[in-house]
Amino acid sequence: MIENILDRLKADIRFQEGLTSCMNCGICTAICPAAEFYKYDPRVICNIVQSRNINEIEQLLKGDEIWYCGQCMSCKTRCPRGNAVGMVITVLRKLSQETGYFVESEKGRQQFAIEKAVGQNIINQGYCVHPDIATYENHPEQGPVWKWYLDNIEELSTKMGAIYKQRGAGALRDVGEENLDEIKKIFEVTGGMAFYDNIEQASQKAAEELGVDFQEEYFMKVYSENSGNHNR
Amino acid sequence: MNIVDCIIIGGGPAGMEAANRLTDQGFQVLLFEKEPELGGKLRQWDKLFPDFTLAQDILKMLNDNIASNKLEIKTGNTIRELRQSTDEGNSKEWEVIDGNGESHRARTVLITTGFDFFDATRKEEYGYGIYPNVITSVELEEQLKNGKIEIASNSKNDPNIAFIQCVGSRDEKVGNHYCSRNCCICAVKQAIEVKELLPQSEVTCYYMDLRMFGQSYEELYRKAQQEFRVNFIRGRVSEISPTLENRVILKAEDTLLSRPIRATVDLVVLMVGMEPSETTAQLSKSLNMSDPYGYIASKNSYTADNETQHKGLFVAGTAKRQLAIPDVIRDADAAAFTIAKHLKNGK
Repeated sequence: MIENILDRLKADIRFQEGLTSCMNCGICTAICPAAEFYKYDPRVICNIVQSRNINEIEQLLKGDEIWYCGQCMSCKTRCPRGNAVGMVITVLRKLSQETGYFVESEKGRQQFAIEKAVGQNIINQGYCVHPDIATYENHPEQGPVWKWYLDNIEELSTKMGAIYKQRGAGALRDVGEENLDEIKKIFEVTGGMAFYDNIEQASQKAAEELGVDFQEEYFMKVYSENSGNHNR
Repeated sequence: MNIVDCIIIGGGPAGMEAANRLTDQGFQVLLFEKEPELGGKLRQWDKLFPDFTLAQDILKMLNDNIASNKLEIKTGNTIRELRQSTDEGNSKEWEVIDGNGESHRARTVLITTGFDFFDATRKEEYGYGIYPNVITSVELEEQLKNGKIEIASNSKNDPNIAFIQCVGSRDEKVGNHYCSRNCCICAVKQAIEVKELLPQSEVTCYYMDLRMFGQSYEELYRKAQQEFRVNFIRGRVSEISPTLENRVILKAEDTLLSRPIRATVDLVVLMVGMEPSETTAQLSKSLNMSDPYGYIASKNSYTADNETQHKGLFVAGTAKRQLAIPDVIRDADAAAFTIAKHLKNGK
């Protein structure tokens, strides 16, 4: 068991201000798009957090629930007591990532895929999402038009006014080494890099325990695994 | 100029009752009412919780007493200003400028300017004023008075009717942190009346807490469940949207089952809360005696609840906070007692 979970939660300003006076009316769950589909109840999460029950909070950090939230913050727009459940979720997620508990659930393990894809893409290309990482194989939901787009990306970019991987003004431009160096420095100074490293190390350990090759197989495993047991 | 013993501002139940109690004791009273008739919000109501007493019976008793007493009444007259008399040596007196610009003086003033209903259009997500199926508890009461409930949808099935609690109460989003106290039991009363008129309807109340604190409230709640099969679901409604059949869908969480729910209904009744009336808010502000919401703060809610921080200025009823009719009448009696004491002591 990790020490000081409660203290670490309480130290976060988003936690301090995100949940101060819940009266369990359920309006957050009633407006929540995720709660309609997933086995997810933001009100119950507030309840658990307010109970200050460390064992139950730990189960949250190890479970799938906190990863169902889409961070749309609809809960904040409705709460009659001014709470922001989405903020509380953010803090729980961060703590789950920091403690390594995220590897204990299927949705949590996907943090590795996000870190590898979106996270590293920011460092390598200066983009959260860039067509280069959204391969057709990994994104069948985009349909065959996406394959056609990627196959002809240079020509299409010119037609659409983008400048794919070139210096200058326009979408998909190369942001330049000097800017990437700056982004990297920001991530080093603010602890972002250490945060990534932590996710990688915990994931590597999880891969070993699961008997999955970390370099070759683990990404696709966490990216594609689906127990089918997430919906209501 | 004639100086009366007491000017009462507001001719609802509180003002009428206090006027009667003061004239009973021989004091000279001048009563102002902005509407053409006395009676306030009681005139809009059909039956009262928790025992279905006719509002008009209470009104009749108040009016009969008024008729048998000698007091001056100015209806259809909204006062423009209330201030402490500025004449030298008369600083203990009060002056009221009425709607016609005339000045009236009194040794004491009692404010009974009451409350207003929460404007439900401010909760846009409930679609009041947008969907004809969404009405307020005030409008339902009017329909109950006429003995006919209007269902806007053209569904052939027995109607589903939903009551939504805490509209404009216990809600930071509209600036009203307080509980309006009367809506819980009022919804129970109205739900029973709806079931009496439409026995085949399905009636559901969406609530957060059912605050059945008054005498016989809890029993009426039980009766609604046992005898009238009114359903109660614990969950605050997040939004209401229309269907193609002119019905509406409401979304809530059944918090006791931890399950988000959608209900398609033919009529939604919004239990609108209470807010200080316009005049209450104006007076509390202009005389610097407002509580956080614009109600008039009494001098001491434990021991001097009819007094204000200004000498000779008194307050009673829902100008102070959310009260039901019996509380209002008792409070007006207490105010008359306090004012009489003040007048007899000559200060």
